[in-house]
Amino acid sequence: MPPETLFQFANPLAMTGWLALALSPLAPRLANAYAGFVVPVILSVGYAALILAFWSSAEGGYDSLANVMRLFDNPHAALAGWVHFLAFDLFVGAWAARRARAEGVPHILVLPCLGLIFWFGPIGFLLFLVLRAGLSLRAPKPTEA
Amino acid sequence: MTATVAIFPASGTSQLPNRLMADEPRFTLLGVVLAFALIPVFAAMAVETRTYQDMNVWMKPAKFMISLSLYTLNLALFARFLPAGMTARRRYRAYSTFVVLCILAEMIWIGGAAAMGVGSHFNRSTPELALIYTLMGVIAISLTTASLVFGIAILRNRASGLAPGLRLSIGLGLVLTFVLTVPVAMTMAMGTGHLVGTPQTGAMLPVMGWSREVGDLRIAHFFATHAMQLLPLFGLLTLALPRHLAVPAVWTAAAGYAALVIATFVQALAGQPFLQWMG
Repeated sequence: MPPETLFQFANPLAMTGWLALALSPLAPRLANAYAGFVVPVILSVGYAALILAFWSSAEGGYDSLANVMRLFDNPHAALAGWVHFLAFDLFVGAWAARRARAEGVPHILVLPCLGLIFWFGPIGFLLFLVLRAGLSLRAPKPTEA
Repeated sequence: MTATVAIFPASGTSQLPNRLMADEPRFTLLGVVLAFALIPVFAAMAVETRTYQDMNVWMKPAKFMISLSLYTLNLALFARFLPAGMTARRRYRAYSTFVVLCILAEMIWIGGAAAMGVGSHFNRSTPELALIYTLMGVIAISLTTASLVFGIAILRNRASGLAPGLRLSIGLGLVLTFVLTVPVAMTMAMGTGHLVGTPQTGAMLPVMGWSREVGDLRIAHFFATHAMQLLPLFGLLTLALPRHLAVPAVWTAAAGYAALVIATFVQALAGQPFLQWMG
């Protein structure tokens, strides 16, 4: 299967997960099961398959920046890297949505965090941590869900 | 059919995983991990472009994972019929851990060889690979000893709570798995491949991938290794027989089964394909 085909399958799949998180106040448990478990698991299986099948044919490695860049010269390895982003970013997004709900962070504040986690993973993660820290200065927080 | 209740819990199979986990946690966990590991391996098979001997490179790891998952889960199922207290002993726990490590080593080598696109068996192309191949043979025999240990312990355990015929079928099946597999597998391992004879154009039986044109030693290996599943299934059938017939029936079936394995072995060594009439 050409890597482009798999790419065109993985991207919309991850998008459905992000959509579920954006709408998660409607059905929090369902949205979290889908975005925090089902989609990351499917993407992780895809990642594992790509690594099993193509790791040995990829040049480069993890030991230097030059080697990491060479790794991404291989389309299948690059696709695996992309699927890794998709899976783990969504997982972090689902975690943020879950924590926000448990700690009473308004969904309107979670949305920009989710957007940033989606586009620039770690930046959205940082924003969420900061918002959460700020809001924890409010009145006593509700118990964990 | 009270004895079937002893194998599968009375309240249905929903409690079976918990029971296996309680009876033999190491084998159960390994069997479950191997079964789930099949998912990414099948996914890899779908995206894989490399072949080894005209087969997708992941076919062989998948076969070994299915077989070893079945093996460990089956041992966990039979662990209930070991003498009371045996699995709690320190010596047993060390042995069972050793078997798990052998299976992991075998799987990592076969899976790793597939990932790297090198042959995992009959590969003596460098001194290092020849050494690994020999070592893997020792490990393979070591992991098979678990069936012998279980078989002898169950044959000697008069307090298993099983009908005599069923207990005999489980014990004999386990012992036969070891006794038949080791000589067949060792004979195969000493050679240069699992096929005997010419011409080898690649015609094979569906699913199993056994040759339809020459002798294939994997057939005898398959039946030898799965004695521990097939004989106990026959043992379950003997529950329907009059009591005094069950034990002789199991002995007869075991002898017939061993004869079948030897026949497929001799047939393969003679270069003859299995089920020739299927042409």
